Amino acid sequence: MNLRRRISGAALAAWCVFGVPLAAHTADLPPLSHSLTLQTPKPAPALKLKDLDGQTHDLARFRGRVVLVNFWATWCPPCRREMSSMERLSQALKGEAFSVLAVDVGEDADTIGAFTSQLDTEPTFPILLDTRSGTLQAWKVAGLPTTFLVDRQGRIVASAIGGREFDHPEIIQAIRELLKKIIRP
Amino acid sequence: MRLLTLTLLAVGSAAALAGTDTSVDADTGLATWQTETRGIQVRLTQISPDQARAFYLARGFSAAAAERYASECVFMTVVRNIGDTPIQHRLTDWRYLSAGQPPRAIRSKTAWERLWKHQGVPEAARIAFTWAQFPATQTFAPGDWNQGMTSYSVPRGGTFDLRFVWRSGAKIHTGKLEQLRCADEPS
Repeated sequence: MNLRRRISGAALAAWCVFGVPLAAHTADLPPLSHSLTLQTPKPAPALKLKDLDGQTHDLARFRGRVVLVNFWATWCPPCRREMSSMERLSQALKGEAFSVLAVDVGEDADTIGAFTSQLDTEPTFPILLDTRSGTLQAWKVAGLPTTFLVDRQGRIVASAIGGREFDHPEIIQAIRELLKKIIRP
Repeated sequence: MRLLTLTLLAVGSAAALAGTDTSVDADTGLATWQTETRGIQVRLTQISPDQARAFYLARGFSAAAAERYASECVFMTVVRNIGDTPIQHRLTDWRYLSAGQPPRAIRSKTAWERLWKHQGVPEAARIAFTWAQFPATQTFAPGDWNQGMTSYSVPRGGTFDLRFVWRSGAKIHTGKLEQLRCADEPS
């Protein structure tokens, strides 16, 4: 018998109790992919939420920028795994018209802070609080993590369900292609 | 990671178990069943009663409510599109079959939500519960995958088969994971 993609029971156990996959077992988890599913462009639903510091972020104000919108929670193992790659992506595109918005569902700032403080590099992008999951429902998210790529005109142009390695060269290239596109009035 | 194969399970009918990979984690003793067929990979890993209890207690469930869920047979369920066309599932189409019982549907998130409201589980805890369960329906593009808990009314240590259903284009497919075994309390 051969399990090609195996998950560590020990990691699962740690996740259940602490919401923390054991770092020692990360290598045993299935690799994160880097595929994005292109979509027919359509206007992104409204997204206006407060971040961990109480500052409001409105997606409508990001027109002219490409935005990666990620829905996640600290207890979701693939969400935790992809978080660092979003920060690396953010750093790779620093200075360009690109932003990351990470929308946490149903958790408070203390819970989120306890997780992000364990990361090698804490996220510099806004983490927004969707405490009652209304925004997730408006975006028709069915499971976590789910990520959308929003173009400079505020349209969803790609999505990804499940964990991804967001700083993969192919994803960076896809974002750069979007950044090159001229905005039509 | 030290994974031991469950050789005992292989002693049964080889034909009946064709397509199902089984392994046991040496550290926890928790077992995983996995199959890949026609562009879909389905994997179920046991969640022990202790783990289920702890997870929901940590998210605001009362002891009684957490115990209610832990009394179910709970699995971490992963579905992955390993093909090249989109696939879609509806959990209401899935059935599990245990000895002496007619095929049963997996209890829906809506049904759980009613129970939790009745038991006075706080809204934040109910939201965490909802998102921790495997989605009721979802479309997976090639490369997409998701995971979440599914629960079955089967006694601890009991076994059952799971018939899963998915759609690819206009076609409806079915697959089966056989002889899944519910995690037991540690002795």
